[in-house]
Amino acid sequence: MEIYLPIAEMSVHWLIILGMGAAVGFLSGLFGVGGGFLLTPLLIFYGVPSAVAVATTASHITASSISGAITQWRKRALDLKMGLVMSGGGLVGTVFGVWLFGVMRRSGQMDLVVSASYVVLLGTVGGIMLNESLGALRAVQGGAPPPGRRSGQHLWLHGLPIKMRFRESRLYISVIPPIVIGFFVGALSAIMGIGGGFVIVPAMIYLLRMPTNVVMGTSLFQIIIVTAATTILQATSNFAVDIVLALFLIVGGVVGAQLGVRAGERLRGEQLRLLLALLVLAVAIRLLFGLVVEPGELFSVATVAP
Amino acid sequence: MRRLARGLAALALFGVPAAASEDLVSGLSQDTVEITSNYTGTDIVVFGAIEHLEDAGVNDVVVIVRGPDANMTVRKKDRVAIIWLNRDQAVLQGLPSYYYLASTRPLSAIAARDTLQRYGIGVGNLAPEKIISHHDPEPFRQALIRHKEQDGLYGETPAGVEFLSPTLFRVHVPVPATVPRGQYNAEVYLFRDGNVISAQSTPLFIDQTGLERRLYNFAHSSPMSYGVSTVLMAMFLGWLSSVLFRRNN
Repeated sequence: MEIYLPIAEMSVHWLIILGMGAAVGFLSGLFGVGGGFLLTPLLIFYGVPSAVAVATTASHITASSISGAITQWRKRALDLKMGLVMSGGGLVGTVFGVWLFGVMRRSGQMDLVVSASYVVLLGTVGGIMLNESLGALRAVQGGAPPPGRRSGQHLWLHGLPIKMRFRESRLYISVIPPIVIGFFVGALSAIMGIGGGFVIVPAMIYLLRMPTNVVMGTSLFQIIIVTAATTILQATSNFAVDIVLALFLIVGGVVGAQLGVRAGERLRGEQLRLLLALLVLAVAIRLLFGLVVEPGELFSVATVAP
Repeated sequence: MRRLARGLAALALFGVPAAASEDLVSGLSQDTVEITSNYTGTDIVVFGAIEHLEDAGVNDVVVIVRGPDANMTVRKKDRVAIIWLNRDQAVLQGLPSYYYLASTRPLSAIAARDTLQRYGIGVGNLAPEKIISHHDPEPFRQALIRHKEQDGLYGETPAGVEFLSPTLFRVHVPVPATVPRGQYNAEVYLFRDGNVISAQSTPLFIDQTGLERRLYNFAHSSPMSYGVSTVLMAMFLGWLSSVLFRRNN
């Protein structure tokens, strides 16, 4: 049965949308990522206008991050103060990103910017992850222990002014780095329709030097705040959120995520990271092809509001 | 709409008696198309009859269904370094968002090109009212028509007028799932020996109804509550799934 999406103004088959949500949910449960970086391109390939795809995916990430965040909250594996500071930067970044999104949409460079940011970000992150997980696999086979966190180490970033104590993270650092990271991820969320987990998590571990046990909960907290804000801002300034599309994606997504979590328990961390790295790189390469291969049709048409 | 008015003005100008419209009656199978949750496109039927049919001369019928005018931006990709990106663009104003034509014979056999152009008859004869471009607009106009044809929003069937009797005819008009909403017009032209001797226009409304309409209105009239509702729905479903799946364990 086809369903009509009132905002995208197109009909889609509900099973396909539900299946897409479930498949991405499964992967997000498996790898512990939001999955926006897969869902947005999938929706665009299916023919959903890129503006609607980006804006609606944000609400899907909110939903899939909630259950993870609840689990972490019960375990108290969450630095609320850090989460709030990062969300503060994230909200400003979201406002900036949604504004930029509107400007790009009007100037016709929307698709280019979305594709190019995906290629750059996914290519970089995928490459780093591939390199690292290959190294970790080799180290495990060689019997060497994986490198742990060396506490007490500070980067020059931590010495910036306006210092604050983050008790759960056992850190006394400047608030500027978390705010800047939050801003950057908030802007990415609005432009690319991603939660940004695969940017925040490494940033928390390697730049902020947060202990890994609070990283997951804190990043999920920040992702929920930012994607919720993105959804509301995209709805108010770009009218691009499709609630019917969101409903089907989320129902598929939350079920898929639970199955993914179960499947993930049977795989080792290094193997998971290697698979995720390959997946991220595959999406980046597919989008890169779209940018550099001569398109079959050079012209595109957009209807402008009268 | 505007083009029809212009056409009718031309009709008067060329000295065709206004009473000529009595030669033609036409109607629609339905005067509204409702886009509902399972809308996947539909067919409407335009039917009509020619009265006082004279044997002298060749009669031709052309039926056009025209959607509301829209302003469209056509962009052309160009290679910059190694990347293909949108460079040149043209804004074409006042072209119909939907256009379907059916005729008794190929248009070139029915009337001269300038007559067809005057009435905006034929996909190839559609001209924008205004073009904003720094470049030669013709390739952009053709690209727009090509796109619309691929999407099923522009179409032409030269033998699409079906005669049920010497005077009674009907046309099946495909309305695809992607049609824009708004006021449409079904126009019927009667040609004799290459001249328009009669024309009729009947309005047709295409709109969302029911839940779709309410959601669309909700999203546009109170976007803040709409966005908050979407977020609350997402949070509720996320929470619900974590509760449901925990009990299963």
